[in-house]
Amino acid sequence: MNGQGEEAGHIFQIRWIPKYTFVERLLHWIHTASFIPLVATGLVLYLDTLKPLAQGDAGQWMRLVHRLIAVLFIAEPLVYGILQPRRLWLHIKEFSFEKDDLGWLKNAFSYYVRGKHDAMPPQGRFNTGEKINGMAMIVTWILFVVSGLIMWFGKGLVSAELFRWMVVVHDLTTIAALCMFIVHFYLAVAHPLMWAALVSMRFGVTSATYAAEHHAKWYYGPKRAMELYEAKKRNDSH
Amino acid sequence: MARKAMLIDESKCTACRGCQVACKQWNELTGWEYSKTVNTGSYENPPRLTPQTWTRIKFTEYDSRQGFRWLFLKEGCMHCGEAACVDVCPTKALKKQADGRVTVEPDLCNGCGYCSQFCPFGIPKLEVASVITGQAKASKCTFCQDRTDNGLSPSCVKTCPAQALFWGDRDKMIAAGKKRVETLKTRGFAAVNLYGEEVVGGLGRLYVLIEKPETYGLPADPQYPAMAMMWQNVIQPLGKIAIGGTVLGTFVAWLIIRRNIKMEEVE
Repeated sequence: MNGQGEEAGHIFQIRWIPKYTFVERLLHWIHTASFIPLVATGLVLYLDTLKPLAQGDAGQWMRLVHRLIAVLFIAEPLVYGILQPRRLWLHIKEFSFEKDDLGWLKNAFSYYVRGKHDAMPPQGRFNTGEKINGMAMIVTWILFVVSGLIMWFGKGLVSAELFRWMVVVHDLTTIAALCMFIVHFYLAVAHPLMWAALVSMRFGVTSATYAAEHHAKWYYGPKRAMELYEAKKRNDSH
Repeated sequence: MARKAMLIDESKCTACRGCQVACKQWNELTGWEYSKTVNTGSYENPPRLTPQTWTRIKFTEYDSRQGFRWLFLKEGCMHCGEAACVDVCPTKALKKQADGRVTVEPDLCNGCGYCSQFCPFGIPKLEVASVITGQAKASKCTFCQDRTDNGLSPSCVKTCPAQALFWGDRDKMIAAGKKRVETLKTRGFAAVNLYGEEVVGGLGRLYVLIEKPETYGLPADPQYPAMAMMWQNVIQPLGKIAIGGTVLGTFVAWLIIRRNIKMEEVE
């Protein structure tokens, strides 16, 4: 790899470059800190082994905690959207798919599971997988909030049929979001190639070498990144 | 154990509402929610089932061929054979007893209210302490669980002075109901019918109705809610497979990548 990291003995010199702003990281961790307890207090209704926690007074506490944290979960993107509407819009644009995302998807299995380095098309600050995660988070947030608020305040006011739908939607959304979360957590914490991801989300910086390899379109700009990608492909095929 | 049932002969009900009083007394239910009685334009009282009113006589005023007429319906939990409330209850507070009674254990209830929303008859009611905190308890007719457990009849059956209420093995109640229907037919009640024999797994509350169920405001063909079926039998099991599969999948992916990647080469 064309490393900026210089090897001096066994010590790597890593050049850190900024990747996420303070506010981006803050929002990420508020979302994490609300999502995990929301799932935990929701799962007591779902898993038989946790049933005792759903019953009686414990269950009422679970439902109260679920509501308290839901306020944070709902408020966080709303407050951000009100204070920084332009930035929120930029995020949504950053999460939008482009043509070359298909190339990433084609090679994702080979890269992330088998550990083959070749032929990953250059990515922006968010790669295709992160974009999918981002979009999924937006969609599941909307579904969670709409179905949750109707169940919270609409019981007896909306028709039973609508309420039943909302219960099912809330359940399906949880299942989808939890599966996304598990993959997201694994990639951030355990995947050996993604070592810089958690560093970036904690400290806001990433290694220049890592950025060049994983986020070339962002690091070099789209044009230069494509040139390098084509050159690498030519080299590999020789 | 033989399934038990209550047979309610609406042709005999005089709407004395002794059953309402007996129910309140035996189950120690308050009347707090009616500290102010409101004229609803009807002799019926109270106007609806509530967390503290598990049975009541519903008055239907209608114009029959003989002129103005009242229909009386003793409302309450139907104790369905296929009880959706029991299936959706996440706390097991609602239970289907071996003899078919659907009972509620208030200590286990966490107030989620799914039972009230999934019941095809809208029977279970939530006593909501606060909508904001979600503090609530569900309640409904249990066929006087503490009485019937000990071989007694529910308090409403015991008290009914018109002898319109019967309690016993469901087969016998159905046979008695059918016989009563035949008798009433010969006396000119053309629309008389027995309600609840087959619907929703067979009801534990059977009615001899002198008019069509719709005239009483009962659903002619009540259904076990499709959403409850899909939720409990499809989505929840598949969701567990999906979540478990994702955990397992990422673990296997981790084992594979750990073998394939030399960490010294990662930058």
